[in-house]
Amino acid sequence: MLKIIVVVLSLLVALPVYALDGTALLKKIDRNLNPESFESYRKLVNIEPDGKKKEYTLFTVKKGMDKLASLFLAPASEKGRSTLRLGDNMWFYIPNVGKPIRITSLQSVVGGVFNNSDILQLDYAAEYNVEKVEEKEGEYLLYLKAKTKTVAYDRLKIRADKGKLLPTKVECLTEANMLIKTLYFKDHKDFGGGIVRPAVIETDSPLYKGYKSVLIYAKVKQRTFKDEVFTLTFMPNLESLR
Amino acid sequence: MRRLLYLAVVIMIIGLLPALGAAEETYKFDLSEIEKKPYHVGGYLEFKSVLYGLDHDAAFYKLRFYNNPQGQTIPEANGRVQLEGSYEKELYRIYVKTNTDFKYSSPDGGSEPSIFYEAYGSLKPSPSLKIDAGKKTMKWGKGYAWNPAAFVDRPKDPDDPELALEGFIVATTDYIKSFDGPLKTFSFTPVLLPVYDHINDAFGNSNKINFAGRFYFLLYDTDIDLMFMSGGSRPDRYGMDFSRNINTSLEIHGEYAYVRNARKTLLDASGNMSAVEADAQNYLAGIRHLTAFDLTTIVEYYHNGAGFSSDELENYFAFVNRAYNLYQSTGNAAALSNAKSLADGAYGRFSAGRDYLYVRFSQKEPFDILYFTPALTWIMNLDDRSYSLTPELLYTGFTNWELRFRTAFIAGGRSTEFGEKQNDYRMELRIGYYF
Repeated sequence: MLKIIVVVLSLLVALPVYALDGTALLKKIDRNLNPESFESYRKLVNIEPDGKKKEYTLFTVKKGMDKLASLFLAPASEKGRSTLRLGDNMWFYIPNVGKPIRITSLQSVVGGVFNNSDILQLDYAAEYNVEKVEEKEGEYLLYLKAKTKTVAYDRLKIRADKGKLLPTKVECLTEANMLIKTLYFKDHKDFGGGIVRPAVIETDSPLYKGYKSVLIYAKVKQRTFKDEVFTLTFMPNLESLR
Repeated sequence: MRRLLYLAVVIMIIGLLPALGAAEETYKFDLSEIEKKPYHVGGYLEFKSVLYGLDHDAAFYKLRFYNNPQGQTIPEANGRVQLEGSYEKELYRIYVKTNTDFKYSSPDGGSEPSIFYEAYGSLKPSPSLKIDAGKKTMKWGKGYAWNPAAFVDRPKDPDDPELALEGFIVATTDYIKSFDGPLKTFSFTPVLLPVYDHINDAFGNSNKINFAGRFYFLLYDTDIDLMFMSGGSRPDRYGMDFSRNINTSLEIHGEYAYVRNARKTLLDASGNMSAVEADAQNYLAGIRHLTAFDLTTIVEYYHNGAGFSSDELENYFAFVNRAYNLYQSTGNAAALSNAKSLADGAYGRFSAGRDYLYVRFSQKEPFDILYFTPALTWIMNLDDRSYSLTPELLYTGFTNWELRFRTAFIAGGRSTEFGEKQNDYRMELRIGYYF
């Protein structure tokens, strides 16, 4: 009897604590992807079936779970444009047009497979509840459900590396589990300051057969900002943060 | 002049060839691309070829060509050069944007006016505070095609609302404060706008210093602005606007402006001119909607309380026709000259009427053609049922290039706003290059 109790207790201790707490696991994945407040540079590449590419370079700043702003640095046709996200609110600023206009999460300011919510991705835990966690072959499989109707994808299925606690693949689904797009997290890189994360995110979609979009990360580093940086009035001044 | 335009087209085509052949290059992230420099120089080159299909019976045709009759069409070549530059050091920044329009058509010959669209200096002691002085566009309001609450801006062209606009010389400050709770952001933007000889003299009455301001609130996930302007160059006015996302694909917005003692010059049925002064309310309500298949729809209703009713517009067009007939029979162009000066004022401006509907459908990347956006825009004067209908094809697939082809069909009965415009249709091809 004592042996059985010892074996059961040993098994319980050996199980990762996150296996029972999907929310804590998701928050850990979020923190491993990015510090809570940080700056980064990203290159977004849209690739057409014939291999033709179009590239955008963005400077991105984030604070807390739900404040994020991005400034387009290139190409020249997009330079100075910026996007801001505060929770479910999103705006797009075009210098010529002047005033920031509200945009919705399913629109895309860059075309291609990425939409606005992909480019202005908040912490997963800010937008989704964990419904279920499975473990298989060195991976966690997290089933997420959107907290509100304003979130771009009703459901997410995240495959995360069990050792690194970083996503390897994210499937974006409708309420009826129809696949909208798949994100592939690749090329783990040490950005310094304890930040080790995938440097490349590729995406494809059955809705855009043959097309692919890629996000490449550089200079990801922890940084704090004042809340006033994440306001409509500040959008034309994001360049001053670089 | 024509040589310059041809040269611009040749440069654009030569520049286009490498972009067409760049398909096989692999992507890379060169960190030198993101190195920050204290200065920035860039710009925009445009060539636009336009063919106007004339309406010989229209009042605005008669006003313009009464002594220089034209054939069925007028071709026109346009070019635009916009240069911008900035220099930033610590808390200080200067920014300049110039605009030069080249235009050549057979009736008017050539012209190439150059102006500063913007030229101002900024001081930014903190993310909460910024002070600007110089020529600047403020761009208030939430509407896409019209902005009745944009008190310190030049009016947009609803036919091309995303065009860059010239600013006014102002001194202004942005003060921003963020909060936790339902009120997330507050900002205040006071503006001083002087009007003297050679300083903002197109704005209104001279020798005045106008004071305007905007209070912005992000409250319960809704953008709300309250604004005012006073000072004497234009009638005092107060306004507000709002914008809110209803769900992932629907946005609603609105604007309201109350103008005290708005003045306009009216013509009665006999052609007698009188100045009328009355309070006016201008407002706009609109939506922006995106379907699952990427069709964006923008719908806006605009009420221009200070605009002309269909009867008032009819009186004006009757006056033009009488003046034209007088010129035909006697050679006396004095009345036409009066009518032309009225057209240069309120009667000839964009959206001279009272009630408008703006509807724009744009389909992103149909048939999986990336960066291709066909669109259809319909602007209707709801009082006289005249309208313009503009199909458009836009392609932005070559980095830094923008190709747009559009045709505007302008329709309406006699004595209606769009029916009396100079053209029955307008075809244009625009090639733009950013650098």
